[in-house]
Amino acid sequence: SAPAHDFHAFTPVSAAVQREIEPVGPHFLAHARRKRYKRTFSEDERI
Amino acid sequence: MSDSEDAAPRVAIGITFGNSYSSISHTTVEGRAEVIANEEGDRQIPSILSYIDGEEFQGTQAKAQLVRNAKNTVAYWRDFLGKSFESVDPTPCHQSAHPIAHDKTVAFSIHDSESEEPNNVTVSEITTRHLRRLKDSASDFLGKQVTAAVMTVPTNFAEVQKDALREAAQNAGIEVLQFINEPVAALLAYDARPEAKLADKIVVVADLGGTRSDVAVIASRGGVYTLLATSHDWEVSGSKLDEALMDHFAKEFRKKYNTAGDPRKDERSLAKLRLESEAVKKALSLGSTASFSVESLSAGIDFTATITRTRFELLARAHFAAITRLIQSTVEKAGLDPLDVSEIVLCGGTSHVPRVATSLQSAFPEKTVVWAPATRTDAINPSELVARGAAIQASLVADFDQEDIRESCHPVVTVTPHLKDAIGVLAVSGDERGHGKFVPIVLASTSVPVRRTAIINGPPAGGDVLIKICEGSKRIHVEHKEKKEREPVEADSDDSDAELSEDEEPIKSEVWHTERVIAEAALRGVAKGAKIEVQINVGPDTGLTIVAREVGGKASVRGSVPAYEES
Repeated sequence: SAPAHDFHAFTPVSAAVQREIEPVGPHFLAHARRKRYKRTFSEDERI
Repeated sequence: MSDSEDAAPRVAIGITFGNSYSSISHTTVEGRAEVIANEEGDRQIPSILSYIDGEEFQGTQAKAQLVRNAKNTVAYWRDFLGKSFESVDPTPCHQSAHPIAHDKTVAFSIHDSESEEPNNVTVSEITTRHLRRLKDSASDFLGKQVTAAVMTVPTNFAEVQKDALREAAQNAGIEVLQFINEPVAALLAYDARPEAKLADKIVVVADLGGTRSDVAVIASRGGVYTLLATSHDWEVSGSKLDEALMDHFAKEFRKKYNTAGDPRKDERSLAKLRLESEAVKKALSLGSTASFSVESLSAGIDFTATITRTRFELLARAHFAAITRLIQSTVEKAGLDPLDVSEIVLCGGTSHVPRVATSLQSAFPEKTVVWAPATRTDAINPSELVARGAAIQASLVADFDQEDIRESCHPVVTVTPHLKDAIGVLAVSGDERGHGKFVPIVLASTSVPVRRTAIINGPPAGGDVLIKICEGSKRIHVEHKEKKEREPVEADSDDSDAELSEDEEPIKSEVWHTERVIAEAALRGVAKGAKIEVQINVGPDTGLTIVAREVGGKASVRGSVPAYEES
């Protein structure tokens, strides 16, 4: 991997806005599954 | 009821229950969503019930009874469910059974049995009877007993209305698996097409119905939908187009037979006029001329006339403009510009009217795709969209436990942080002379966690590359064409002023503005003309992980940015 000085973090992204996503469609169901089992994207793909 | 559930497998369909029409739908074994035709061959089944000597009629048969048996015909009651009499607008029911107050709810006083005395039948009971008939039609078609459904509702349907609908459905033997919002169902129907590509886009769904129109602005991010703004309008609707035709034909009739009365003044004549005008409107969506013909319209006189589509478009011009305005104002409500809108999905029966779609197309930028039969040959039938979406969702959740569905729809799952601004890279290479150009990778209003990857061009000469990860926002750049041939004079008449402003219509374009630099990454010794892949991972707390690497090369850099914390 690259040396640490090749990456500099300056500031976090702006505060997020809380909104409601629609519980509809295959991609939502995948989101709900990940959220309920607290999985990341790559963990979810492996299963 | 859950005790007996374990034995038989669940058979789930999609049900769209509207004030004017209802539809039933299922997905085929190949996974295609289909709208089911009832015994009469109707896919759009009028939401109307009528009684003669205790016999019940529904759908098209009941609709025909609006002329001869209006008092025992119930129509346009969906929006009354779960509401008190004081809070409903009974206007659409003027020509059928009138709603009355009954306990805390709304009822209709109708002769629904053979007895002389009318019964007070609540809207809940009417709904149950209607849904039972829909369920039976679907069961007959599928050859197995339907037990469950996903039902669609408008976005402003309150919890009490959903509870009332759930109960009415339960009484009809239907387990409601989930209520989904109508505009989202319509969008799902488009996204479920095999040829559809997942994209990040802003979609406006305009559901143009018979008695109301509903508009929703939706951020579609990789197939996950977020409602940004909604509007509901009971003045802008298909019935207004019918009324424009009714007035026209009533005037024509009076011109021809000036001794006969106004057909709009007699209830039965008015009902005939309304039914035939709706039929003429539908015919004008398909052909360029249509004929209006009613036997014994008024004073025993048969009346026949023809009308062209052009004439109709002139008569209803104000209503078309109102539809366009409603959609434009909802985009504004979402804090967006028409340039931000990638697609407009038209659904609901009124979307068949060609002028509705063409006026919208000219009011929005050319690149905005308007999904309607008049503007796209590959558009899906707008009357079927919502029902198809319901069928798709039904097939997705049919095997889930009721508990699982409830938990997935819980705010703990659905309320998520959405990015305020877009995140992307500022590509600084030779040809952009230091300023760089912002390339968005994750758009604003995307829910997190999210992962997106983009390929950007490295410098043509190769060498070291600085990748700036930035937040960016879209601005609308307005360019006024400078045409100073003559000074605008205040004494000018209104007419020439209008002409002048039309000449000088500003040219708008979208420009990305870099808000701030989040992080910098350096890739060293990149090959000549290399492509660079940048992956941005936004965690559930909006913390970032960034990976940049040369496509096909060995060089790669990785780093993370912690999440924003309220101090």
